[in-house]
Amino acid sequence: MSVQQQVSLAESQERLAALKRLSRRLGVSNGIAIAVLWLITILVAALFIFIIIRLLVEGAPTLVKASFYGTSQAGIAPELFNTFYILILTEIFLFPIALAAAIFLVEYSRQGRFITVIHFAAETLAGVPSLVLGMFGFLVFAVYAHMGTSRLAGALTLLCLNFPLALRLFEEALSTVPRMLREGGLALGATRWHMIRTVVLPFALPGLTTSLILTAGKIIGEAAALLFTMGLFNPSNVFTLNPLIASDTLTTRLYYIKGVGAGTLGLTTSQESALAAGIAAVLIILLLVINLAARGVGRAIQRRVTAA
Amino acid sequence: MQTTRRAHLSDQVVRVVFSICAILLVAVIISVIVFIGSKAFLVFGQGATFKGFFLGTFWDPTGAQDPTGNGNPTYGAGGLILGSVITTVIAIIIVAPLAIGTAVFFTESAPRWFVRIMQPLIEIFTGIPSVVVGFLGLLVVVPLLRTLASPLTGNLPTGGFGWGAAIVVLVIMVLPTTMSISIDALRAVPGSVREASLALGSTRWQMMSKAVLPAASAGLGTAVVLGFTRAIGETLAVALVLEGNQIPKNIFTIQVFFQPNVNITALIASDFGETSGASQNAYWTLAFVLLVITFIFVCISRYLASRSVYK
Repeated sequence: MSVQQQVSLAESQERLAALKRLSRRLGVSNGIAIAVLWLITILVAALFIFIIIRLLVEGAPTLVKASFYGTSQAGIAPELFNTFYILILTEIFLFPIALAAAIFLVEYSRQGRFITVIHFAAETLAGVPSLVLGMFGFLVFAVYAHMGTSRLAGALTLLCLNFPLALRLFEEALSTVPRMLREGGLALGATRWHMIRTVVLPFALPGLTTSLILTAGKIIGEAAALLFTMGLFNPSNVFTLNPLIASDTLTTRLYYIKGVGAGTLGLTTSQESALAAGIAAVLIILLLVINLAARGVGRAIQRRVTAA
Repeated sequence: MQTTRRAHLSDQVVRVVFSICAILLVAVIISVIVFIGSKAFLVFGQGATFKGFFLGTFWDPTGAQDPTGNGNPTYGAGGLILGSVITTVIAIIIVAPLAIGTAVFFTESAPRWFVRIMQPLIEIFTGIPSVVVGFLGLLVVVPLLRTLASPLTGNLPTGGFGWGAAIVVLVIMVLPTTMSISIDALRAVPGSVREASLALGSTRWQMMSKAVLPAASAGLGTAVVLGFTRAIGETLAVALVLEGNQIPKNIFTIQVFFQPNVNITALIASDFGETSGASQNAYWTLAFVLLVITFIFVCISRYLASRSVYK
């Protein structure tokens, strides 16, 4: 064996050892990194689960009391009624307008400057804090349009607030419809509107329903936009369909009890806390139900439509 | 012949009506800017100066707290703006690594059963009402911080309220949103990028940090910026745990995080409804400041999104 060969053998062994060290080091740092990521993720998941359970446990003693669902100071019957009233009133405005806008963007207009402008407007509006939008609603609907602090002003403010979200969700739902179906409809001589009614909308129904339910979740949880537009108090005849009376919702009631109105309700501090905990638990339950419904309903409709 | 014409006519009508609905969105955002902008500068015509408004630290637009007793209003929003900026920035510094770390783990190496549990959890939390998070802050965060900070602040009944609690609450509010946008950004990176990196012999962590994260950097930036936009406008969660009227004097100490304090949104929420006329104008200026800040951040996020390679 020549000297040269011996040297190169030693060199290659050294290189092999170095490579082994490198790969071990990489393996260790890979292990550490994955472990850290596991840890962070589990911490976050535990935090989420803890929050839900803590709120439900805190509210549970209040939830089982019958007086909690009554009309007294410590009851939430008016707020429940108002929350669903304002939800339906807002959806009556929001659903057709946002769906129409989405249909126009997806089906009628071509890609171009117009769509860019509308999408930019939507993103900007989505970025406006709900509190600022609430002040806008107060100025425009309550003051300038003479609606006063009323359910109608609140619903119109919520329309402005949720328009961008609803538009984006509806656009996504509509764009899942395959192009071939549209072209088939048009090729049979249908006008665009006829084709949309008979082909696109039935096909997109599951997605549209899911989107509708998701916007409902947003509306139920919103409070800051309603502070100045719908007020924090109920008139005595709260159980009417009159859209021009002021009223509170579950969220604004919770804010009032624990925030500006603490100590003014004629309840003891512990009663106030119990009431607030109950409302928080109700809101969490509504949120869970809405999320489950959004998943379940979309799937159920899909099954029926595709089976038919 | 007549039915065809009628069908075409209805098609045209529908088209016009639908386009009006789309334009309505543009009209809303323009009128938000115009109406709030029209009110925003009135305060400078009634005694407030530009410098005094943004640098002053005594906020008393009604004149009720005037130390001389004459009821002269003082418009010093510096403390409020500082409160919003500090709480938001610190919250985002905490949220960004948490959200991106979880999102990377989620898309790159989490087992499927784990994803199936976490996905609905994140979706539920992106929609959690902010007032509920504020209540949770009162229930859990404030007492906890009061105990933790008692060696620093002494045993005050108001201890625990303030910027510290606001930061924790903001983290809870913003984390899910930032996380789900980050996950979308990472999922948009095509599998071929990962395969190329793995085929060159890199470990999973190298693949994530050297290939996937840089490829998704613009999308992740958008996620953080949108988180920022949400945090600065967050109102009720923060309002419930701040409880202050004025910014404290000891602003350069660590105690300042654990005593009642202020930010823009909390003061608007608690005081705007009770003011009118001249003193209300100051709150419109604050709203306009928020509007401008969020508009700038939306523009940044749009710029970042336009730079991202994978959408």
